[in-house]
Amino acid sequence: MIVRRIRRRILLAAMLPVSLVAVLLMAAFLYIGLGDNEDSHGQRARSMARQLAGASEYGLFSGNVGQLQGLVRVALQESAVRSVVILNSRGEIMASGGHMTYKMPARLGAQEVLDRDILRGTDLLLQPIAAEQVVLNDLFDGSASASAAPARVLGHVLLEVTGEKLRQRQLQLLRLSVMLGLAGILLGGLLAVRLGQGVIRPVARVSRLIERIGRGEFGARAELREQDPLRDLQQALNQMAERLEVGRDELERRIAQATQELREKKEEAESATLAKSRFLAAASHDLRQPTHALGLFVTRLGQLTHDAQAIDLVANMDLAVQAMRELLDALLDISRLDAGAVPVHLQAFALNDVFDQLKVELALMAAEKGLSLRVRPCNVWVMSDPVQIHRILLNLLSNALRYTHAGSVLLACRGKGEDGSAWIEVWDTGIGIAEEHQEAIFKEFYQVGNPERERSKGLGLGLNIVQRTARLLGHPLQLCSRSGQGSRFRIELPLTAPGAMPDRRGPGRRESLDELVGLVVLVVEDDDLARAALVNLLTSWGAMVAEAPSLAVALEQLQRGLQPALIISDYRLPGQENGIQAVLRLRLAAQKEIPACLISGDTDPDLMQAAKVAGLTLMHKPVRPAKLRSLIGHLAKRS
Amino acid sequence: MLLRLRMVLAGVWLTWMVALGAHAAPSVVIISSEGSAAYGETAQALTEELERSGVTRSSVLTMSTREWADGRTQSARLYVTLGAEAAGLLAASAPAVPVLCALLPRSSYEAALLQHGRKASSQFSALFLDQPPARQLELIRLALPGARRVGVLWGTGLSGDRSEFRAQAQAVALSLLEAEVGSEEQLFPALKQVLEGTDLLLAVPNPQIYNSRTVQNILLTSFRANVPMMAFSPAYVRAGALLAVYVTPHQVGVQAAQLARAVLQGKALAASGAYSTDFQIAVNEHVARSLGLSLDAPELTRRLRLLEGRP
Repeated sequence: MIVRRIRRRILLAAMLPVSLVAVLLMAAFLYIGLGDNEDSHGQRARSMARQLAGASEYGLFSGNVGQLQGLVRVALQESAVRSVVILNSRGEIMASGGHMTYKMPARLGAQEVLDRDILRGTDLLLQPIAAEQVVLNDLFDGSASASAAPARVLGHVLLEVTGEKLRQRQLQLLRLSVMLGLAGILLGGLLAVRLGQGVIRPVARVSRLIERIGRGEFGARAELREQDPLRDLQQALNQMAERLEVGRDELERRIAQATQELREKKEEAESATLAKSRFLAAASHDLRQPTHALGLFVTRLGQLTHDAQAIDLVANMDLAVQAMRELLDALLDISRLDAGAVPVHLQAFALNDVFDQLKVELALMAAEKGLSLRVRPCNVWVMSDPVQIHRILLNLLSNALRYTHAGSVLLACRGKGEDGSAWIEVWDTGIGIAEEHQEAIFKEFYQVGNPERERSKGLGLGLNIVQRTARLLGHPLQLCSRSGQGSRFRIELPLTAPGAMPDRRGPGRRESLDELVGLVVLVVEDDDLARAALVNLLTSWGAMVAEAPSLAVALEQLQRGLQPALIISDYRLPGQENGIQAVLRLRLAAQKEIPACLISGDTDPDLMQAAKVAGLTLMHKPVRPAKLRSLIGHLAKRS
Repeated sequence: MLLRLRMVLAGVWLTWMVALGAHAAPSVVIISSEGSAAYGETAQALTEELERSGVTRSSVLTMSTREWADGRTQSARLYVTLGAEAAGLLAASAPAVPVLCALLPRSSYEAALLQHGRKASSQFSALFLDQPPARQLELIRLALPGARRVGVLWGTGLSGDRSEFRAQAQAVALSLLEAEVGSEEQLFPALKQVLEGTDLLLAVPNPQIYNSRTVQNILLTSFRANVPMMAFSPAYVRAGALLAVYVTPHQVGVQAAQLARAVLQGKALAASGAYSTDFQIAVNEHVARSLGLSLDAPELTRRLRLLEGRP
């Protein structure tokens, strides 16, 4: 574009003077040529008349008409001559020829006269014929010096000349000059274009080069030519491109370096997180094994007959085990949320069912603290996962009760109608959360004002679980609180139309004990303590238990004729196999799809995933007896 | 000692003589019509010749007609005029001393006499530029021995030396074919008439007939008629005449000096005027060649001089 504009300008700049000069030259040529032509025409006519006069002198002197007529004939052969008349000194016609178109002049003087008739386009020349003077310089003339005696006029020549030829010549001249002028302009134009290209090509090259550099092609280089007028510029551009390229490479190198450093840091951080997770998993696994066993023993102990003091002790032990379980549960929840292993079953359900359940579950805790737990009934239906909503609200209400020393805790729902959503709100009149902590409280193990980590103040995991779960469900969570003035958490859920009765598989449903009586259960567990506790518990429920510390022992028992209705296997087993493989081997050996479940102290997300894939229910240690019994009941029904 | 005294005395005498000469009236006054080369040459030759014959340079005064007309006349023992104008001027003033009119054609001298009502006398004599008819006719015989008839054009008016020509022609057995020309219109017919059957056209000085305007056509006509022309001045030879016999300004000066010295010695001038004794012959080689003639000017001069009895 720019190149085209430059080309146009150059062409104009070159063509304008060239055209001007050509036109001026043309005009000058024409002016001079026409003038010359006119002059030469006049001169020719005059010289013809003079020659005729000179030649006629002797003819007139001697009165030789024949000779004069001969002269006239010769003169008429000239193309421009129209007529010739030779007169003697008395004005008598001595000889004439041609077509006379004029009137004889009345006065014949001794001077040359040129009479131009523009209308007829003819010139009439009157040329006096005088005797030729011979310089004698003679003493006999009375004077030795040349005497300037006036020449005697012997006669006149009248020559009529037409300008036709002149007009033709002038026309030719005009044509020629116009052609020359046009040729000059054309030539100038060609030259201008040619010269312009000499400028434009380098400019175009430079322009293209700059464009390429502009696109980021720093490797682009101008080809340097000796004759190039923009050689220096291109050289400078090359240098610039080179520097840019070097600079970019340097920058890229630094970025790569920085990225590498960042990656290393990230990997370091990730490995640190991984180490933490591993530590957490290992710790919880190692804690679960004894806690699991402890729980089973305490339960078994509670079923025995004791004195009043012992009963009290067992009750306290049960509380401690309960707290430990809660802690491990919470850690497990977080691990599962981390692993994305929490299934979400969205469904329409009446919110009031969850509210009722929560009211029952927490009424005791509120009463113990002397707080009023108010649950405002509501009749809206929402689209969510009731289990997760229950978990969220349980955490929020537990927190509220924990941090409220006087007053009340309120659970309410506010349907909003217009945009199809409902707010579930948890109010308390507790200590409140200062603004600077409002973000941090959602972090793991963060507790406001509990640096000594007093057990009664909770674990610091509740809100973290709440937030993660809400995020998993896609429900916005808001906190509104001021220090000393209580708090309000609220969570937004989409409203839905009332539908069929939901599957009310809430926690805490009791299975009949009779289902388990006589059920043959194979327990594969390498840890003797845990195996003994589990065997004890199952036996107390009336089940017939076969135990094996490893897969080999279990296979042995199957060969001896054992036909278990259910397999409970630890995930970690001695030797190469894990629990999943053990179950598969046992099923293969029994040639039967025996229902089975896994128990593990690991909270490793991979393990959960593997169990899910294998279609086995994975239970984490310490297993709650109620949960275990429910699962066993469920699996027994399938078999 | 004696020699030295004599030299001193001679020097004193010379000085006195020079001083005396400067203050005395000049013996000869030359009045020149023009300041042109021919006049100057004549005057110089005249002065030198006088000087050679003993007349001191201081006693010869040269002046122009203009100076004469302005009234600066000088008394002298002889006036020598050069040219027709000076002759006319002196004819008009009619001084008491003799006047020698030189460097002018006879016709001009006669015209001056006629104009001022004077008669040719020893007091107002002339040295003509014209060549004597006998010399001219003798030259014709020498140059063109076969020529029998000679054409001559006369002007109207003064008779001049027409009769002498006729007499001399008879003497040398040449017949003259004569025609008179009154006006320029009559020139061609007269020329045609004269050229018919002549062997030579003899040009006799007459400004009415022979002048710079006519000479071309006259020469052309005579050439066409195959008749050579003998003229009276070298200018005509240059213009195309076959030959000419004439007197040079130097020769005029020398002869005028001789005449002047005679006057100063107390002799009288010839009353009828004088022809030049010396002469020069010019030949146009081109014309001679084209006419099939072979003429040698020095040879002709020598032979003519011999005929006239001069060395």
